[in-house]
Amino acid sequence: MADLEIRDLTVEVDGSDILRGVDLDLDKGKTIALMGPNGSGKSTLAYAIAGHPAYDITGGTIRWQGTDLVELTPDERARLGVFLAMQYPVEVPGVSLTNFLRTAVNATSGQDVPIREFMQRLRDEMAALDVDESFLQRSVNEGFSGGEKKRFEILQMALLKPQLAVLDETDSGLDVDALKTVSEGVNRLSGPDLGTLIITHYTRILRYIAPDEVHVMFEGRIVASGGPELADELEARGYDHLKTSV
Amino acid sequence: MTTPTVTPVGTTLDGLTEDAVRAVAAGEPDWLVDRRLAATKRFLDQAWPDSRTDEFWRSTPFAKRFDTSHPLIAEASSDAAVPTSLVASLELTTAQLRIVDGEVVEASVPAELAALGVVVTDLRTAAEEHADLVRDHLGSLTTSGEGSGADEDRTISVNDAAWTAGAFIHVPAEVELTDPIGVHVHVSRAGAHLPRVLAVLGHHAKATIYLEHTSDEGVDALVDEVVEVIALDAAKVDVVSLHEWAMGVSHLALHKFGAHRDAQVRHSAIVAGGATVRLRPECDLLGPGASVRPLGIYYADEGQWFDLQPYVRHLAPKATSDVLYKGALQGRSRTVFRGNVFVHKDAVGTVTDENNRSLILTEGARADATPFLEIECADITAGHGSATGQIDARHLFYLEARGIPRAQALRMLVHGFFREVLTEIDLPGVEERALAHIERELAATDLDRLGINDAALRDELG
Ligand SMILES: Nc1ncnc2c1ncn2[C@@H]1O[C@H](COP(=O)(O)OP(=O)(O)OP(=O)(O)O)[C@@H](O)[C@H]1O
Ligand SMILES: [Mg+2]
Repeated sequence: MADLEIRDLTVEVDGSDILRGVDLDLDKGKTIALMGPNGSGKSTLAYAIAGHPAYDITGGTIRWQGTDLVELTPDERARLGVFLAMQYPVEVPGVSLTNFLRTAVNATSGQDVPIREFMQRLRDEMAALDVDESFLQRSVNEGFSGGEKKRFEILQMALLKPQLAVLDETDSGLDVDALKTVSEGVNRLSGPDLGTLIITHYTRILRYIAPDEVHVMFEGRIVASGGPELADELEARGYDHLKTSV
Repeated sequence: MTTPTVTPVGTTLDGLTEDAVRAVAAGEPDWLVDRRLAATKRFLDQAWPDSRTDEFWRSTPFAKRFDTSHPLIAEASSDAAVPTSLVASLELTTAQLRIVDGEVVEASVPAELAALGVVVTDLRTAAEEHADLVRDHLGSLTTSGEGSGADEDRTISVNDAAWTAGAFIHVPAEVELTDPIGVHVHVSRAGAHLPRVLAVLGHHAKATIYLEHTSDEGVDALVDEVVEVIALDAAKVDVVSLHEWAMGVSHLALHKFGAHRDAQVRHSAIVAGGATVRLRPECDLLGPGASVRPLGIYYADEGQWFDLQPYVRHLAPKATSDVLYKGALQGRSRTVFRGNVFVHKDAVGTVTDENNRSLILTEGARADATPFLEIECADITAGHGSATGQIDARHLFYLEARGIPRAQALRMLVHGFFREVLTEIDLPGVEERALAHIERELAATDLDRLGINDAALRDELG
């Protein structure tokens, strides 16, 4: 059985069926890419894994190392090592970034990391991701540029050390240099203990983070799966031919 | 309702008469007695506010929330155990005054401050020893005509007439104090309490005053308080009002400032305790260049009713005011924000802003907000706004998705909500105290009844 095992997952949002039976496997140590046209349901799948309250799971299972995530609250899932880098990270005014990160690290690690040790780690990770120290004084995502928000998602991933990372269009909005920095960041975190699901529209990021498999979602289902070459094919041909084949 | 007990004054608030006022005023100089009697006459001509007809009382039912049949209390019981005030806990060398059960029980001024001419004393003593100052300023803000309306209200005239214990603070011209002066009002006896505060800051003087309000658990009381603060030219005054009553207290408070040329006033209210608190932080901007910053943090829980009515009058050119009140509610509680800014026709170059934000945490709470602007002058910059909302589902999810359990996520969001006010009140011990109140309330929040606003979520998706 795969570490992440999604079976026949159906999800509704506001009464409309968005996911119509998704099957997907991901093992730790592997990276898979999920592509597909706008509105095909990629973020819906990501949110369903993370436990977003607006996404109603109407059928199927999401098993993570044997546990059905569907019954768990988002924070419980996070404490099991599930991490979602969001497509649109939300601004949380008044909540200090430093305090937020420390609380999150303590919550997911289950231990009270001493403040000095934490600050040292935070500074190191920020340096590695090229995030300016002045961000320590700011509120979570407040006034961040699109690219800064994406970088901050990966900073969180670095600090929380998840075992399952879902990166929802982390590459969108990043300039060439930032894409490289962020990809290197993700690669540093990769290893036998991390399974990564990369949602993207572009092969750009896949040149840095090489996927083991590529899956294509269309109208709420996985309609094609293959190796890295599938991504290149999609980039060359687009999704149009999928419409006829489904 | 409490049964009236025999007190040294022997009157209830309702039954206040000239004779009773004379008894309260025993031993005071004639001019002061005369003023009290004039106020008594006003009191007798007036009725208590009627929430059906009085515009300023429309949102809070006076008769229901304030029991005026209480006997007037003017003497501390000898065994009153008074909690340590915030100022006392800071262990500073500073002036402090304590009013317990309608009586000044302690007033102390360290020698260093006395040497600078700083006075913190019983108002009655001051009426003798600093007669000119007291005569000039006492009642100068409550009985000024010109449309203020303050003197039309019986809740003010009753204090003008019969205040039993008062604090007088004088910071002479050009004296700048760094440590806060403490005035602590404590209630341990059931009844009506009428404390009074008069503070006068000379030109270019600077002072911080903490006004603390506490009471014993289980004591039913009505506290009708009037505070007047006169800030002469370029004086700077910071008043922090802590409302930390136990549930039995209903508090009527007028905190009125007169800000002369270039004076800077800040009033920071932290309202956490009491069954009912109706606070009127008011400021007359009397001289050009004066400024006022009324700040408020409040957190209402089951059974509490907070009615906050900051009022600023721009009576001179180029003055500024910026009102910011933020409150959280839970349980069956109610808050009212009725801010008003008046700009006189001569107040050209006025800059004013007024904002209120309420965060309703659980079902059953209700917040009313009406920020007003009354403008007679065109040449000004003015803004005002209010918003009432719930915890934003997107914020909650973002924090939860990082492993932070709901209760803790909620704490962070509520702290975040208050943050902009808290960071501004950079005075010793105040932020910690406010946070302690917030923490205590949050510990009692019913997470199962948490109201979450997921409208934004739908916008985002749709
Ligand atoms: N509240 C809603 N009511 C109806 N449809 C919704 C609602 N929310 C989302 N959807 C629809 O669900 C579908 C899937 O959305 P999702 O965000 O998962 O797409 P996506 O594959 O991530 O697209 P993109 O590449 O643009 O990010 C879309 O058609 C979207 O419009
Ligand atoms: Mg998406």
